[in-house]
Amino acid sequence: MGIIEKAPLYVEKIPGGGIVITSAEGLLNWSRASSLWYLLFGLACCAIEMMATGASRYDFDRLGMFFRASPRQADLMMVCGTVTHKMAKRIKILYDQMADPKYVLAMGGCACDGGPFYYDCYSVLKGVDKIIPVDVYIPGCPPRPESLLQGALKVREKIYKEKIKDFAGDIPPSQT
Amino acid sequence: MNKDQIETRLATEFGSAVEILKTRFPEPMIYVATDKYIEICRFLRDDPYLAFEFLFSMAGVHYPDRFEVVIHLSSSKHIHQLVVKAKLPPENPKIPTLSGIWEAANWYEREAAELFGIVFEGHPDPRPLLLYDDWNYGYPMRKGWTGPDFIPMPDKSKGADE
Repeated sequence: MGIIEKAPLYVEKIPGGGIVITSAEGLLNWSRASSLWYLLFGLACCAIEMMATGASRYDFDRLGMFFRASPRQADLMMVCGTVTHKMAKRIKILYDQMADPKYVLAMGGCACDGGPFYYDCYSVLKGVDKIIPVDVYIPGCPPRPESLLQGALKVREKIYKEKIKDFAGDIPPSQT
Repeated sequence: MNKDQIETRLATEFGSAVEILKTRFPEPMIYVATDKYIEICRFLRDDPYLAFEFLFSMAGVHYPDRFEVVIHLSSSKHIHQLVVKAKLPPENPKIPTLSGIWEAANWYEREAAELFGIVFEGHPDPRPLLLYDDWNYGYPMRKGWTGPDFIPMPDKSKGADE
């Protein structure tokens, strides 16, 4: 859904072939959104739903999404589950190792704001957005695979709206 | 052995050092005196009629006036279980380690020591187990503990119910 018609392409048919005209920005955004490899961060029961979404019935592959076990190959970090303080440092390290552009999807109540562990809990971080910036939040405990798919589509929508002049915002001023 | 037989055997063997609790649970539940803790536990493992060779759970409890250590024992030979409790004072709770009797007690005691501040004397490896490395906020499972990023449950009896 929406994969082909959102690609900002203009195809002119000429005999023996075709010419594709697009903007550099549109091509960049289209290519980024169409192969959104994710770093799987299964921390709790949300990971089961993420696995179900990645498997054949719901199938992340049709959005061009594959799991990567290395942060250096990943574009999207899916935080699926309860983030403890002990894990928070590791998440921050892995987020810093991801190459720009990078996106974060917080799945489930625990990753959004602590969820059932909000009160009277010494070990759980109250939302993963305390340590890394989050692009899309998915509520639910745990969310169904349909919700996760919609969250992935929201990340794609966000990527399609990006402008080239904003890309430079990720580079520290000392390197520009 | 059934519940009555286990209780009778412990009562005849140790007398007043064992206090038997009346509960509705199928397994017997006893309080043991802290000074006879090791002796009783070794008896529980080595006695051929009891033969509790497996410690499958151990916990610390914080009551308003005391600490408690609760251990759950089972015997795969006789298919029976037992709950053993020991009372500890609220200041400087100390108890001998069980890791020489049941190897499984090693990590349970490390956990209880870290979360409740109970000192297990003679423990072979008293390092912290679960909390992160630079933790210095005390013992989080004690009542009234507060720390960073800790939000206590609001008291619903004081109005503002949903």
